[in-house]
Amino acid sequence: MKNKLILWLSVILLVVVVAFMAKDLFVNQNKIQENVYEYDLKELRKVDASKISHKEVKQIRIQANELLGIATDNKDQIYVSTDENILVLDTAGKQINSLRVRGRARCVSVAEDGNIFVGLSNRIDVRKPDGSLRNSFVIPGEKAFITSIAIDGDNVYVADAGQKIVHHYNINGEKIKEIGGKNLDAGIKGFVIPSPFFDLLMGRQGELWVVNPGRHAFEAYNYNGEQISSWARTAMSIEGFSGCCNPANIAMLSDGSFVTVEKGLERVKIHLPSGDLKSVVAAPELFEEGTVGIDLAVDSQDRILVLDPVQKMIRIFEAK
Amino acid sequence: MKKDRRDFINTCFRFAAGAGIVGIAGVLAVKSQKGDFLWQLDPSKCTQCGRCATSCVVTPSAVKCIHVYDMCGYCDLCGGYFRPNVKNLSTGAENQLCPTGAIKRSYVEDPFFKYEIIDELCIGCGKCVKGCGAFGNGSLQLQVSHDLCVNCNQCAIASDCPSDAFSRVPIDQAYKFAGFKSNKKI
Repeated sequence: MKNKLILWLSVILLVVVVAFMAKDLFVNQNKIQENVYEYDLKELRKVDASKISHKEVKQIRIQANELLGIATDNKDQIYVSTDENILVLDTAGKQINSLRVRGRARCVSVAEDGNIFVGLSNRIDVRKPDGSLRNSFVIPGEKAFITSIAIDGDNVYVADAGQKIVHHYNINGEKIKEIGGKNLDAGIKGFVIPSPFFDLLMGRQGELWVVNPGRHAFEAYNYNGEQISSWARTAMSIEGFSGCCNPANIAMLSDGSFVTVEKGLERVKIHLPSGDLKSVVAAPELFEEGTVGIDLAVDSQDRILVLDPVQKMIRIFEAK
Repeated sequence: MKKDRRDFINTCFRFAAGAGIVGIAGVLAVKSQKGDFLWQLDPSKCTQCGRCATSCVVTPSAVKCIHVYDMCGYCDLCGGYFRPNVKNLSTGAENQLCPTGAIKRSYVEDPFFKYEIIDELCIGCGKCVKGCGAFGNGSLQLQVSHDLCVNCNQCAIASDCPSDAFSRVPIDQAYKFAGFKSNKKI
């Protein structure tokens, strides 16, 4: 009797051992084990919900190969530049016009009078409000690469990422001067642009704000090309700009705050005119990881239009 | 001429012996060519999981970080050098992402900094590679260092690699890093 019990217990023990071995062999085989050396970037993509000031209210899908730039006019019409054309949409997102362009329209801006400025590699096309060509001029220089255009009356400011300079032209294509070249005597350190993202815009008092991405800085220049203000925020945390060169693109709200978008950590934020972080518009988790080339525009209602080139849509954010 | 059974069996044995000798010679010839192929990892497939540091039979790992200077932006805030959320951009150990302090940062000119890999300290964990790829332009890349690799028949890291980034490459194409403007060698 006792031997029989031992025998049964042995059999049960054997079955348990075999089951354990089988589980170890077959069940755990494909389980990804943690590695102490793995660098988890997911935490950096999370944003404290209390810092998010805007909510996404609308998405407008765009049919195009490449979405490159976005702008709005004073009637809140939306202009999207692509590799083939400029799409004009009404405030509801319905397409009302399509202007064929000769090349890749890297950026687009619209003047107060409705003239449309399109940056095509090293050429600027100026189109009348009806879309017909008004005039066109070339930025000289082998490395010229236009990434942004700002307009103030007849003055046209052109961000040239290739030559790391801002060109000041008039609307007829006559060059007035260059802005932002290294001049340590004048306190200008020069633009550092490691990647082809170099944005600028006109401020509320007619000053020109230019991003110095390699320094994570904003620099303001007056009409004479003198630097009148600057601020920088270098940090991987939400308070600053991360990576080699950010922000990639900017826009301005009616109160003078800056809307910024970064690459690397795709986040859209609002910085006060002083440079301090005000709030977050869109957290990185809203974008596909590795999205590059997000552009921004703001309409008259201070709605923020975010051009998402990977998901191929305009995403509209309103204050909560 | 008609063969008897003995001749037939003899012929079969001779044929089998000959085929065996030729086969063995062939296998030996193939094995002797083994030295012409090396293990290497493809940076475009690598996900910097960290296993190169722990799976290699060599200690520290034969996988090392290399720096493609032609691609580097010489950034002040280097995503491969600094931990996230650093308070200041100094070389203090508490600010460094590398667990072994294998990256040397030195000032070039405002605002540029140079980053050099100290091979003896690098364990091939790939943390810096991931940081550089996420925040920079990917100038830091992992590669099998052939002066350290013992070229195992079955590479232990290749077996553990979740992204299938390891393969055998011809000896004349021993490295697979990207971004060099010319055929420089390391």
